[in-house]
Amino acid sequence: MSPPTADWIQLHDRFYRKQEIYTMLWKQVDLSKFMVAAAPFGGPLALVRDDRKVLLLQKQQAVRPSIYLYTSSGKLMEPIQWDKGRIVGMGWTDNEQLLCVLEDGTVRMYNILGEYTQFSLGKEAKDNRVIEVQIWGSGLVALTGSFQLIAVTNFDEPRPLSLADPGINEPPHSWTIIPPKYTLSRHVEVLLAFNTTILIVDATEARDELLQQGPFTKMSVSPDGKFLALFTSNGKLLVVSTDFQKNLSEFSTGSQVPPQQLVWCGTDSVVLYWDKIVLMVGPYGDWIKYTYDDAIFLIPEIDGVRVISSEKCEFLQKVPDVTENIFKIGSTAPAAMLYDAFDHFEKKSPKADENIRSIRLELSDAVEACIEAAGHEISHQYQRSLLKAASFGKCFLEIHNADSFVEMCKILRVLNAVRYYEIGIPLTYAQLSPEALIDRLISRHQYLLAIRICEYLKMRTDRILIHWACSKIKKSNDDEDTICRMVVEKLANKPGLSYSEIAMTAHKAGQSKLATMLLDYEPRAGDQVPLLMSMQEDELALVKAIESGDTDLVYHVLLHLKRKLPLGEFFRIINNKPLACNLLESYCKQQDPELLKDFYYQDDRRIDSGNLTLMESFQQTDITERINKIKAALRLYQDDKEHVFEAKAIEESIRLLQIQVQLEKDYSHPFTGLSISSTVYKLITINQGNRATKVRGDFKMPDKRFWWIKLRALVEIRDWDGVATLAKSKKSPIGYGPFVEECVKAMQFREAAKYILRCDAHLRAGLFLKIEAYQEAGEQAYLQKDLDTLREIRDKCPNAMLQGQIDGYITQLASSH
Amino acid sequence: MSSSTAAAVAAASSPAQPTGAHLGHTSLNIDSLRDLARKELVNVLDSDHGVEKIYHLQPGPLETDCKNLIYICRPQVNYMKYIAEHIRTHTNDPRGGSYTYSLFFVPRRTALCEKVLEDEGVFGEITKGEYHLDLIPLEDDVLSLEWDSTFKELYLDQDTTSIYYAAKSLMRLQGIYGLFPRILGKGDYSKALCDMMLRMRREMAVDDLDASQTMQLSQSIDSLIIIDRSVDMVTPLCTQLTYEGLIDEIFHIKNSFVEVDASLANATSAPSGAGSGGASTSTAVPGKKKKVPLNGGDKLFGELRDLNFAVVGGLLNKVAKRINADYEERHNAKTVPQIRQFIVKMGGLAAEHQSLRLHTALAEEIMNYTMTDDFNKILEVQQNIVAGIATNKEPEYIEEMINKQAPLGQVLRLLCLYSLVNSGLKPKQFEFFKKEILETYGFEHIQTLENLRRLGMLTKQVTTKNTYGLVRRSLSLIVDEVNEHAPNDISYVYSGYAPLSVRLVQCVVQRGKDGKQAGSGSKGSSIAGGSGWKGFEDVLRMLPGRTFDETQRVDDGQPRSSKRLNGQPRISLVFFLGGCTFTEISATRFLASQEGGQRDFVICTTQILNGNTLTDSLIQKVPGLHTTS
Repeated sequence: MSPPTADWIQLHDRFYRKQEIYTMLWKQVDLSKFMVAAAPFGGPLALVRDDRKVLLLQKQQAVRPSIYLYTSSGKLMEPIQWDKGRIVGMGWTDNEQLLCVLEDGTVRMYNILGEYTQFSLGKEAKDNRVIEVQIWGSGLVALTGSFQLIAVTNFDEPRPLSLADPGINEPPHSWTIIPPKYTLSRHVEVLLAFNTTILIVDATEARDELLQQGPFTKMSVSPDGKFLALFTSNGKLLVVSTDFQKNLSEFSTGSQVPPQQLVWCGTDSVVLYWDKIVLMVGPYGDWIKYTYDDAIFLIPEIDGVRVISSEKCEFLQKVPDVTENIFKIGSTAPAAMLYDAFDHFEKKSPKADENIRSIRLELSDAVEACIEAAGHEISHQYQRSLLKAASFGKCFLEIHNADSFVEMCKILRVLNAVRYYEIGIPLTYAQLSPEALIDRLISRHQYLLAIRICEYLKMRTDRILIHWACSKIKKSNDDEDTICRMVVEKLANKPGLSYSEIAMTAHKAGQSKLATMLLDYEPRAGDQVPLLMSMQEDELALVKAIESGDTDLVYHVLLHLKRKLPLGEFFRIINNKPLACNLLESYCKQQDPELLKDFYYQDDRRIDSGNLTLMESFQQTDITERINKIKAALRLYQDDKEHVFEAKAIEESIRLLQIQVQLEKDYSHPFTGLSISSTVYKLITINQGNRATKVRGDFKMPDKRFWWIKLRALVEIRDWDGVATLAKSKKSPIGYGPFVEECVKAMQFREAAKYILRCDAHLRAGLFLKIEAYQEAGEQAYLQKDLDTLREIRDKCPNAMLQGQIDGYITQLASSH
Repeated sequence: MSSSTAAAVAAASSPAQPTGAHLGHTSLNIDSLRDLARKELVNVLDSDHGVEKIYHLQPGPLETDCKNLIYICRPQVNYMKYIAEHIRTHTNDPRGGSYTYSLFFVPRRTALCEKVLEDEGVFGEITKGEYHLDLIPLEDDVLSLEWDSTFKELYLDQDTTSIYYAAKSLMRLQGIYGLFPRILGKGDYSKALCDMMLRMRREMAVDDLDASQTMQLSQSIDSLIIIDRSVDMVTPLCTQLTYEGLIDEIFHIKNSFVEVDASLANATSAPSGAGSGGASTSTAVPGKKKKVPLNGGDKLFGELRDLNFAVVGGLLNKVAKRINADYEERHNAKTVPQIRQFIVKMGGLAAEHQSLRLHTALAEEIMNYTMTDDFNKILEVQQNIVAGIATNKEPEYIEEMINKQAPLGQVLRLLCLYSLVNSGLKPKQFEFFKKEILETYGFEHIQTLENLRRLGMLTKQVTTKNTYGLVRRSLSLIVDEVNEHAPNDISYVYSGYAPLSVRLVQCVVQRGKDGKQAGSGSKGSSIAGGSGWKGFEDVLRMLPGRTFDETQRVDDGQPRSSKRLNGQPRISLVFFLGGCTFTEISATRFLASQEGGQRDFVICTTQILNGNTLTDSLIQKVPGLHTTS
């Protein structure tokens, strides 16, 4: 066992280590001849022959190029036959799909198994060709032949978006992007090296940073998006902050030739690669050089760099602080003492006890540090010895929570399992996210391992089982019954597992019978709907959607059916389903009145049709048109014996309109649209009392209403004589209270007084009081022997003499009792 | 790099501000719900940094300098059309640059809206997302979906979308507070809601088996009582007589804000001169409106809101005197520490003073309204109708209102009340009123009348059997002796009429046949193990819709009666499906006060309504009809 520090190299005040993870399984791969794209987080490599590089024609080589997908350990996963045009760039998305961008702007997305979907970058890309492309986990930016930039920021719904015109007329020296999550604007920003400066381009503008140090022939953004490494044409390496406010370091490499690769190792050092030479530059200008025999490829990770050569896969990283503390030669950190103590313990040396004593107070921290350091180790041996040391230290602690220890053991088991060369995912502790890992294993069809890990970490296995069942269905040649039995058997002890996705797969694979069988196992009504729809089980889909209670799902099916089916068939399906009908009605009212008419018509809902037509009539500005519409509505109403009243009312409304048209001609005032009452009212206010009486007669308006209208209208035009005439014309059907009331409202107390004596005797006192006629009020109250009102009048009365008079009434009445 | 962003917001009121006072004194921690909503809102807006401007989503082109637009709105067809219009004007404008559009649906995106966006040809332009805001805590004890159109949608269009949203939101509550051990309710839609919840729980096992297995019965909430609005249409038609209810009747409270004349509102912002009286010196332009928040954060409002308006004046007077006395204390403050003490106190006093001014002004305004003859006449007629005092006066007065061309909403409120209480109008009367309405308000109201007929709110009498009368008697809906100052029954909120909906709640939580005896029975008995509707079967049978009583169990099979945490009151969740009024909220709070700390209520509703908003949603509107020439 070589000492843990054997592969450490000091760079200023810190250590770096380069550890071998795998010996590559591939044979004789000359990386210099390939275009390489590697997925981060220990992901796979995609290799395609680089057509810009000369290659000796060999016998076994296929005429058509292929894209080869390898694991990090060099195991061939899938060769993809390439049948399209020239690939300008490749990259991986966050969910491990390989993107291939073609010269003509076509983008293909392959999953690990070589199945693909594709989309286009649009006309600009097609016309001017794509010359280069930059890809990040959830988007890409393409540079076209006319030096325009096209971005796609979401691969689920890819929508090409042109960025601002950078205004350059020759290719940039180099360029890169800052992914949206690291920019201030939350939009992707493109950095273009042009002349001696850098242009920053986003969707709205291109801004010149006005730098002098260029031209920059290579650049790279750090994994946290904060820093930018630049390589100048005179061989200098500059590190600046991405807002260009700070220069952090400068280092002269002495090479005029730009490096083939410039990547970040974590966030504090930069790794440059020239042909067979790797140079790592730290923040203080210190450097380390590694040389190789063959071409290599660097893959930046969040906590280091993976180095792929034809023989090995290595991991270059800064030695984590905890690890450094423990293993650094001469370290006296508590954790180092603990590790040392365990070593002595193994050797049965009493020094063990001495060591433990010396760190008594910090023992708990030392234990935790050993646990954490174990997580950072790739070698099983060191993982084990560090954990043992932690476990040893634990024994000396009275109280210690072992959760972190248990947790780390679990994590290490998982990490070791996926690092195994057959699987080939060299994840580090810092890179691990169990959810994402499971997804990756599923997409590699490593179901057993995925399930084991899930069970071990107590996570749900549904996703894995569903995916397994789907791929089983796709691949299997058995008959449908056998497959169904097989799938159901395996999934039987998982209550509540969703079958709809599995059924959908079967359906897509053309096995509709199997799909139907499987769908029966789906416990959720709502989830059956999409599949039933694509299986053309229209009515059943609608029934299930209604069952789910989710009205939007019902709409979803309804709108789909409406598009797909002839109208008659559509109506037939929905007619006996009240919720579907109600929803269709309310949709149509807002969006599709014509459909609503058809719907009412076929269902023979005349009154609804009639109402709809009637409402439409009101939208007509042309009176003849309006009348025609109303007549149409009338016909619909007349068919129904239950609605005689409405039919009659509609007839009246036609008559009213005709009269109003005449009135408009006669008096050049607008009348149409007014109700009967308002028409009469308006006629009175324009002094056409006789005409008003005529209209009133035409519609046989009840006396009471007419009197009210006339009274209010006359008061409005302040025709007090008119009011008086009305009052005298005959005995008022509404009494005289309203006369007083309306006059009071119009603040005409004198007018009001005229009618009070014609009101009911017991109301008079109150009415007089309202118009502040206290004396009369008092007299009336006295006549009515109304003590309460008398007292009220007395309280309100401002006149002392009157008050005396009223007091007199009160005593009189009181005494008479 | 400039990234200007504008957000257009529609009808999704932001979560109410936290209120210091525990208004309904519920022990339920509503804050977790608030936090959830707030966090997600930040996420929604964080997809683009920094909102520069906020616009209200309305028809017509949107003119803005911002290039990144975020829309936040309900998934409603009309909003989609507004947005489509915005986008079209932008694309047709040759000077306009490129905009990016994001649209967040509250609470979720729908196929219907996507179809409309597609039809309008703007689907591809918009990035779509969701903001899952469902129940909005208006107060610690009032949660509302604030889905304004629910009543019409549910009962007239029979579109059950809101039931689905209600079920979803209740499931979310169960996720936070635990399963409700018992679900009781009345009405067909209530039953549908209950069934949907039970089904969702079964299906939840599919989504997340572990969560559904570990889901415990709620420790604090022991029951959910669902009341369907169709069971009690009478209550919302009555004029609310509590302080908050009257504010709503007169000014209309929207999303817990009320829009009042700026001169009224200015009373709040005017600097408070120490010791000066309540009169506000307004300099505001008359007619200008201002929004004022009304919630429990305002301590005085918290005290006043549930009271019958009759006692509000006296209370305001008392508070004014107290504040004045407190200010006067400054004269007694002689020593420096005393002065310091007074200064410390003064901050609180100033706030109280401001609130006093607002409420005095509001109360004055309400008083002006309640003093009118019309108001009193309507109230009298309405109370007679509800009490079943049958004379000719009531229909006569309604006729007079029509003849005076009083607002149609007011007329319909009374007429529907009359029809509901008497199981319909006599055939002749029915035709007469229909004719009067059509001839006075216009023939377009054929549709309005049809709407009311469908809802059973305005019908022709087919039987002389008066069900309402029986219900009224057996549930003592009319209480003659009401002491507004020290009420002993929920009927104080309508000065003598007890809202049927809340009476039903009372049936479940309190034993005893009528309101006067209710509450004196077995106080604070657990509903989970209680007898539910027992004893009220007869009266429930007379009311429309199904009655139900479901028990939710956890998987070990036994319904555990939720054990009460020490001294913690049990909580009943009351869900008013189809909306409730402020008075019903007050009445429910009153029920809690009768329970002597043994039981609390949290009120959930689809929206808050009153007689005006209810009838208004049913009145057929024909824009521009009366202005054509």
